[in-house]
Amino acid sequence: MRRSTAAAVGTLTGAALILGVRLSVQPAAVPVSSAQADSAAEEPEIDAAGAEETTAPGSAKKPSGKKTTAPAGDDAEEDGLKAGTFKGKAVQHTYGTVQVTIKVAGGKVTSANATYPTEGFSGTINPNAVKSLNASALKAQSADVDAVSGATLTTGAYKSSLQAALDKAGA
Amino acid sequence: MRHVEEVMGTVVSIELADDLPESRLRSLADETCAWLHEVDARFSTYKDDSEVCRFRRGDLRLEDCSADLRLVLDRCADLWRDTGGYFDAYAGGQLDPSGYVKGWSVEVASRRLAAAGSHRHYIGAGGDIRMRGSGPGGRPWRVGVRHPWEADKLAWVLNITDGAVATSGTYERGAHVWNPVSGAPATGLRSVTVVGPDLAVADAWATAALAMGEPGLTWLAKRAAEGYESAAVTDDGRAFTSPGLPVAG
Repeated sequence: MRRSTAAAVGTLTGAALILGVRLSVQPAAVPVSSAQADSAAEEPEIDAAGAEETTAPGSAKKPSGKKTTAPAGDDAEEDGLKAGTFKGKAVQHTYGTVQVTIKVAGGKVTSANATYPTEGFSGTINPNAVKSLNASALKAQSADVDAVSGATLTTGAYKSSLQAALDKAGA
Repeated sequence: MRHVEEVMGTVVSIELADDLPESRLRSLADETCAWLHEVDARFSTYKDDSEVCRFRRGDLRLEDCSADLRLVLDRCADLWRDTGGYFDAYAGGQLDPSGYVKGWSVEVASRRLAAAGSHRHYIGAGGDIRMRGSGPGGRPWRVGVRHPWEADKLAWVLNITDGAVATSGTYERGAHVWNPVSGAPATGLRSVTVVGPDLAVADAWATAALAMGEPGLTWLAKRAAEGYESAAVTDDGRAFTSPGLPVAG
């Protein structure tokens, strides 16, 4: 079914479509990057993107994206990050206080954690969705990064961001 | 060399990876910051004597505006049209081109750095980043996309050499992201990331798609034909990526 769908749709080249993946049904340890290719074929739930065509780009992409492990340890050379633990500033948001901490060893970010408010936050969270996104995120996170893109427009949001912790480590 | 500067109401991170003397890198960073402060002085909506404020009060006629401001106004009009009104520099009732100015000023800064001899750098402003050349060790820059619920986690890692990444999300400002077409708070999408050649466009499109809600996913998909890839997460945690998104690993 998967193959025939892909074959039928294979001629629809150039169809610019977004792959839909419901992360909450993914196995916990699957990184987003490979999950998006694999599950698009198996996962029938695709909204807003055009049900049958969505399979094609997913299948087509699969061969090129076969490096399954994130490049966590293969280039532990320079990144200019100082070893140590770097705490972001605790920042008051409407939903509570957030403080980010990263640990750097051998020039790489080895862990990142944040304290979260326990009250007033749950209303905006879908627990299942967050849980599965976490799993993917943790996987992705093991790949060291140079910069972080996020909606951190205000200086307050910056101070509690991973980018701020990276800047401290790289300064 | 890493430099961090508070300017334009946000924080700008500058990474210069060129093999140049420390003093040269320092002066390149200084020149970049001077430009961004100049942009702030000229385009801030919080400074009464800025060109933008004088123009919107009527103290300055359009034909007397600087070429930069006229370009910004033109681009805002283009983006308003391209996004079906979802990118709207007049959403608050009066002109506020800040949503374009930030990305544009970083684009200009990066272009100036290249002209001055820096061919490997990134400039990030409030989570929107323009990369030029290759990153540390000659590999692509690795850019994490912030997890839309947890500030210390990443949803994706992208490999980028020469290009821009912009993310808009409702997680910072809560329900204060407005749909300018309906006049109601934007709902449906939690986070939108757009990757492409121009930071100002990527930023404006991410903002517009976020305002559109789920229909924004379909709209974003069509932007791939113009060289802009995207990733989005819905309010209920579904994640979407365009086929050409340069996901690492």
